[in-house]
Amino acid sequence: MQTTADEGRPILEVSSLVEYFDVVERGIFRKKKVGDVHAVDNVSFHISGGETLGLVGESGCGKTTAGKVILYLEKPTSGSVFFEGMNVVETFENGSQTDRKLLRRRMQMVFQNPYNSLDPRMTVYDIISEAFVVHRNIPKSQWTDRVYELLRMVNLEEYHAERYPHEFSGGQRQRIAIARALAVDPKFVILDEPVSSLDVSIRAQILNLLIDLQRSKRLSYLYISHDLSSVRQISQRVAVMYLGEIVELARAEEIFDKPLHPYTQALISAVPVPDVDHKTTRIILPGEVPSPINPPQACRFHPRCPHATDICRQMAPKFEDKLIEGHFVACHHADKFV
Amino acid sequence: MTDYLTPSTHDSVNELAHPLTEKLLEISHLRTYFFTEAGVVKALDGMSLEVNKGQAVGLVGESGSGKSVTAQSVLRIVPRPGRIVDGSIKFEGEDLLSKSDDDMRKLRGPKMAIVFQDPTTSLNPVFTVERQLTDILMLHRDLTKEAASKRALSLLEHVGIQEPEKRLKAYPHELSGGMKQRIAIARALSCEPVLLFADEPTTNLDVTIQAQVLELLKQLQKELNMTMVMITHDMGIIADMTERVTVLYAGKVMEVADTPTLFRSPKHPYTEALLKAVPSVKQTRALEVIPGNIPNLIEPPSGCVFNPRCKYAKDICMKQEPPLEKAEEGHYVACHFWRELKLEGRAG
Amino acid sequence: MFSETINAAHNDLYVGLAATLITTLIGVAVGALAGYFKGAVSDVLLGLIQMFFVIPVLLLILLFARVFSVLVFKGLGLTLIVLILAFFGWSSIAFIVRGETFRLKEMEFVQAARSLGAGSYRLLFRHIVPNILSPVIVIATLNIAGFILTEVVVSFLGFGDPNTSTWGLLLNEGFPYVRTSWWVSLFPGLAVVFCVLGFNLMGDGLSDALNPRLRE
Repeated sequence: MQTTADEGRPILEVSSLVEYFDVVERGIFRKKKVGDVHAVDNVSFHISGGETLGLVGESGCGKTTAGKVILYLEKPTSGSVFFEGMNVVETFENGSQTDRKLLRRRMQMVFQNPYNSLDPRMTVYDIISEAFVVHRNIPKSQWTDRVYELLRMVNLEEYHAERYPHEFSGGQRQRIAIARALAVDPKFVILDEPVSSLDVSIRAQILNLLIDLQRSKRLSYLYISHDLSSVRQISQRVAVMYLGEIVELARAEEIFDKPLHPYTQALISAVPVPDVDHKTTRIILPGEVPSPINPPQACRFHPRCPHATDICRQMAPKFEDKLIEGHFVACHHADKFV
Repeated sequence: MTDYLTPSTHDSVNELAHPLTEKLLEISHLRTYFFTEAGVVKALDGMSLEVNKGQAVGLVGESGSGKSVTAQSVLRIVPRPGRIVDGSIKFEGEDLLSKSDDDMRKLRGPKMAIVFQDPTTSLNPVFTVERQLTDILMLHRDLTKEAASKRALSLLEHVGIQEPEKRLKAYPHELSGGMKQRIAIARALSCEPVLLFADEPTTNLDVTIQAQVLELLKQLQKELNMTMVMITHDMGIIADMTERVTVLYAGKVMEVADTPTLFRSPKHPYTEALLKAVPSVKQTRALEVIPGNIPNLIEPPSGCVFNPRCKYAKDICMKQEPPLEKAEEGHYVACHFWRELKLEGRAG
Repeated sequence: MFSETINAAHNDLYVGLAATLITTLIGVAVGALAGYFKGAVSDVLLGLIQMFFVIPVLLLILLFARVFSVLVFKGLGLTLIVLILAFFGWSSIAFIVRGETFRLKEMEFVQAARSLGAGSYRLLFRHIVPNILSPVIVIATLNIAGFILTEVVVSFLGFGDPNTSTWGLLLNEGFPYVRTSWWVSLFPGLAVVFCVLGFNLMGDGLSDALNPRLRE
């Protein structure tokens, strides 16, 4: 995948992001905290302008929570998020309204479920123009033109503006959601499983649309998904999450063709390949996807890892790119797989 | 698979079986319609399918293709307002559509079973795991409660559940998705059916759990020499788990072939388009888009049901519905131009 | 008798509609706030709702009628009933609204509006409240009927305002003669039945009319 990214100048920098949720037992008058859900545990990465970072993992790994925290839709427990040099958390907690609104325009999100992400009581026109109502950055006389322009951008028709969400198919609703996100002219969009609930033949439409928009508007994407095939299609770099931590981060080709972390290896081998000549040698992981409440000690993957040894049970591995530059992995035995 | 028999020993979809090939299931021109307030939804509109004993067959299609309705029709559990209006379904040589409800009930379980997509809704939330299994065993196999419990335990072991004694007493909501699906599989297999429908069994599961369940199904199919119909939209699962595949679109059959043939040299534009639209973990390539949307089944397009989205469509495609014709041994296509078109498949 | 019944109608309707209007306003406001905000605010409001929920409104009305019998005889009886109903009767709506707000708050279209920069006010009133209208309207119309029934009971038992004509009062007056002049009780009785039925049906219809999904 040809990259149009600005080398060396990240547009988004996430450092040591942590998000714990309290697990609480309710009494009649008191609430007692009995544990933590380690939803996001010390996650760091950066994204350059015009680049797509894929964030993959299974349920409970924290990828959706990470997305919400980056946009400050949830308050992080600790850590920082810098967008175009601005400290996101600080701005939302103590900054001016102007700055907060600016961030809301530059950073956007397309949500997972097209059947829930559009207000059923608003017309498409209202949904898309809500951005103008909130930000008041475009004179009212231009709203209709702008809405039509956005609809055309996502290959919908002008007459669709009068309709209600339930009159559209899943794929069309997702286009409306994309148009809404573009209405504020963002620079960075988080895409949370945008095609997972769509039919196969529609997925390609939406994926191609997203790729085209990225090129024409120089957008950066954080593409969150459990569907590895579509991640490969759209991402330049990929981060793999397990139980709240990033276990591997590298260029897409490296992750898919030569993964260094046992979890990544199992994950990729588990995906059915639409190719009859492909011999499936599935690495089957024992057990279940664990719960992020009180995760295992040391290396969190060791209970299911086919290569685990003593050190894995005692010491958490460092996340570093010692073996291959630019290819980060957290595993004591990664050198075996180079 | 020891009983793999090539289907190329018979000429037409409806021909009498060659003595060596045992046709287990024969669906012919099946029409299942749903009579709703908004109109008649033609979920299946003239669908034919053949499955031989011991085969692993795939039924692939997107939403609205009718793949789930096919399984429901065979087991005659089509929900209201649906009804089978035409066609025939033959199982082990017997006509299923003329059977009474009682007779069908005797078949469901011991002869044929379905594993559904969502184990959360297909398992009864107020029964323990044990009860889910023993109920069926006592009904069909006439076992005592103790015998049924023992069998339930061994079934759980068979589907790879750890600590099965504990799990027997558990309720579905206490279990993970993967485990629930294993139990659903155990239940479907409890009376040792000859025919198993797996309706998107892994779609709701995590990737690594999906791998576990698919491996399990593969293994069980071999062991029990079971005939399995894998219903899915995932071409990867088709490639990995099936020998023969039928492509459905909007209630009609587009193409039928051996799986390798379908992937390497498809003869129907929809199949070609589907193969080109599917991304793969193994390579990055430009995805070709299928324009348009899945058609409205109340008023499907006239002529060939795929014509509005087909890049090769000509006049005749809008007027006349193409018949399902034999292109080669074991390879059938429903397209006016299968002879002329040179389509691309996915070579390795 | 017939004309007397019609005459009394406006008083019953006054009770039903006025009480419903006030209780709905209070109920939606309290419920939405309770469901939208987390922490102490929500807990306190919930406690409040639950407290008011269990108070037996009918008994209270009877009690107040006794205690404030002065007011009753001065012709303010109905207003007293309305006020008590309004003050104590909003909890059922608040409860439902709280639950729905809670659910809707996490829905993706609300999250999307948040990510666009919409503030709490807009989220609550432009997104959440319009989507909870359906169940609220159904309960509100049932409330109209319910409140009217409460008034009927109160007046029937003799605690109502003897100077204001209501169906309950008519029933009360007709009670001793039920055996002989049963038709005296028939008209107001039927009126109550039809009224209750009518409002229930209206609630149904309104709920459907407000649903954009059926606007094809």
